[in-house]
Amino acid sequence: MSITGSQIDGVAVATAPAARKRRLSKSLKKRLIPWLFISPFIILFLTFTLFPMLFSVYLSVHEWNPVAGLSSMEYVGLANYQLTLTDPWLWQSLYNTVWLAVVSGVPQHLLAIPVAYLLVTGLRGGLRHFYTAFMFIPYITSTVAVSLIFFSIYSANSGILNQMLLGLSDMPVFSWFFSWVPDVMPIRWLTSSDLLKPSIAMVVIWKYTGFNIVVYSAGFLTVSRDLYDAARVDGCNRWQQFWHVALPMIRPFVFFAVTLTIIGNLQLFEEPFVLTQAQSGGVAQAGLTASYYLYLVGWQWLEMGSAAAISWILFLFIAIATSVHFYFNGRKGLGEDR
Amino acid sequence: MAGVELRNLRKSFGKVEVLKGLDLKVEDGEFVALVGPSGCGKSTLLRILAGLEEETAGDVLIGGEVVNDLSPRERNIAMVFQSYALYPHMTVAENMGFNLKISSKPKAEIKARVQETAEILDLVHLLDRKPSQLSGGQRQRVAMGRALVRNPDVFLFDEPLSNLDAKLRVQMREEIKRLHHKVRTTKIYVTHDQIEAMTLADRVVILDRGIIQQVGTPTELYRNPANAFVAGFIGSPAMNFLPGMLQSDSDTARIELEDGSVLTAPRKPNHPRDGKVLLGLRPEHIMLGEGTGTSNALTGRIDLIEPTGAQNHLRIKLGGQSTTVVDNNLTEVELGQNVAVHVDPDKIHIFEAGNTA
Ligand SMILES: Nc1ncnc2c1ncn2[C@@H]1O[C@H](COP(=O)(O)OP(=O)(O)O)[C@@H](O)[C@H]1O
Ligand SMILES: [Mg+2]
Repeated sequence: MSITGSQIDGVAVATAPAARKRRLSKSLKKRLIPWLFISPFIILFLTFTLFPMLFSVYLSVHEWNPVAGLSSMEYVGLANYQLTLTDPWLWQSLYNTVWLAVVSGVPQHLLAIPVAYLLVTGLRGGLRHFYTAFMFIPYITSTVAVSLIFFSIYSANSGILNQMLLGLSDMPVFSWFFSWVPDVMPIRWLTSSDLLKPSIAMVVIWKYTGFNIVVYSAGFLTVSRDLYDAARVDGCNRWQQFWHVALPMIRPFVFFAVTLTIIGNLQLFEEPFVLTQAQSGGVAQAGLTASYYLYLVGWQWLEMGSAAAISWILFLFIAIATSVHFYFNGRKGLGEDR
Repeated sequence: MAGVELRNLRKSFGKVEVLKGLDLKVEDGEFVALVGPSGCGKSTLLRILAGLEEETAGDVLIGGEVVNDLSPRERNIAMVFQSYALYPHMTVAENMGFNLKISSKPKAEIKARVQETAEILDLVHLLDRKPSQLSGGQRQRVAMGRALVRNPDVFLFDEPLSNLDAKLRVQMREEIKRLHHKVRTTKIYVTHDQIEAMTLADRVVILDRGIIQQVGTPTELYRNPANAFVAGFIGSPAMNFLPGMLQSDSDTARIELEDGSVLTAPRKPNHPRDGKVLLGLRPEHIMLGEGTGTSNALTGRIDLIEPTGAQNHLRIKLGGQSTTVVDNNLTEVELGQNVAVHVDPDKIHIFEAGNTA
């Protein structure tokens, strides 16, 4: 066999150009095939990730009104960035974003962690799954629909929230706590600059707490029963078991969930957009978040160049916030201290 | 320090009754081993003692007081878990001092006591490590240290050595024994390994199917097993059981084996009634050779020879049964050879038929 093989090789080398070409195309094919297999990813990545990113960098140094067509693009250097950074609305929107991120972010976790702990340690499998699924519903419901419902709940004159407060102020025991209600009616949840942000934050908390409960339940389920037993033998009551054993054990889950909250909350858009009826961020721009501002600049004012610049500023902002979080909590959060 | 007592202790999980009425008294400072096959309820019993599980009926007494309604914290017991259950996020020192910290002891005292215990267990150089950075044996010692540092009334051990390799197991066994001589606290030690139980304990409790089968010193259990289960469980290699027919008069018991050979033994009060019985012969009590003047001579064919160095383990067909024989004299024998063996009449055990390990 091997003798015939080498003979054929010898012949092939002798009859040079055609065979060499064939061999070249063969090795080329061999090298191309792997690329062919990964090409779907590469094509999608180039089209939908790399190109838009580079295009937005390009855009951010041009002035462009998309309605006037591609030819209207005009190079302006860093003017978009300069202009944006001097716009008070940008700073207002960044302030609102951070405020909302903190006020709507922190309670999500402060609520979700104990609830998940109680669900996991206090309930049997079936009932726990039911409650967890129930609390997950807000997360999978359309944000726009949720915001619309809250819009009607918050309505100053006919909203159920104000009606409930009025009702409570009439009830025997509660009236003591709610006697102030009739004096301040109607409470303008969405049309006063003081109440708008808290009202938005409530919706965000309502929507995302369930998701965090699911994450933390998964976390608490990883803590073995032996550890709780050991803690009980060591003299821990239920609170101490939670504080000294369960909570440190789910640190990686807290880290993960907080990271998602930071990234998500700094991009808050739909809730404030719907609750302010798309009216330039609501009263005194109290509900104007960074993404909302980005939307206004791009699609209301049709300044695509500035919008691109803002998106890069927002990106930088989120990247810094996340890095700070990683820097301070990363080692313990990723469980590298174990 | 305190003794422990169980009074008609019962435990059911749903319809399944795991512990069926246990009575036991453990003296102050005693080392009691609880042995039984896997799943017989040893861990359950220990968890009830610790207060981690509630008994269905009966009483648990520690130091003479009924503690049924006390939490683990109030019982002042320490427990070493099979999985060690060390807190992964705490250092060795923090693991060991955790109980003291929860009991709000001053920092300086915690540090001193942890240090002292670490010295006893040779853990000083590991105090700053996390459990994940320790070997199995080291983790085991930390788990012991965590229990020791508290100075508890009672120590509970749940198969503490079962996750170690054979060599380390023997080493830790010795260490635990030495520790008990130093710290004479009441210890209840659960294991499924009868050798561990025999070597460590003052008294051994044999548990099977939720019932205490026998309580006694290792020697008592070995010499006078109460039933075939205990007899088969204690001793290694395990006792041989041969079915036979018992015929006894006032001072001799005469057993006819399946192949017609006959053994005699002095009649003892704990022997069952005449009829079908199980004859128990320990492998180390079956001697090769004719013996002298004894009527308990048997012959059989050698089926297997297993040299272990100091002894040879032989499988010999005796009385119609394949029987293990330990030969300490390393006699030259061959596979398939017919050999004569003899048994001292005093070493013959007779049990009711039909219940072995
Ligand atoms: N929490 C529980 N719920 C139901 N059954 C249990 C529980 N804990 C133990 N059991 C059952 O009780 C029996 C004894 O278990 P265990 O005490 O762990 O045995 P051992 O430690 O002797 O191996 C087993 O059959 C086990 O399935
Ligand atoms: Mg067990």
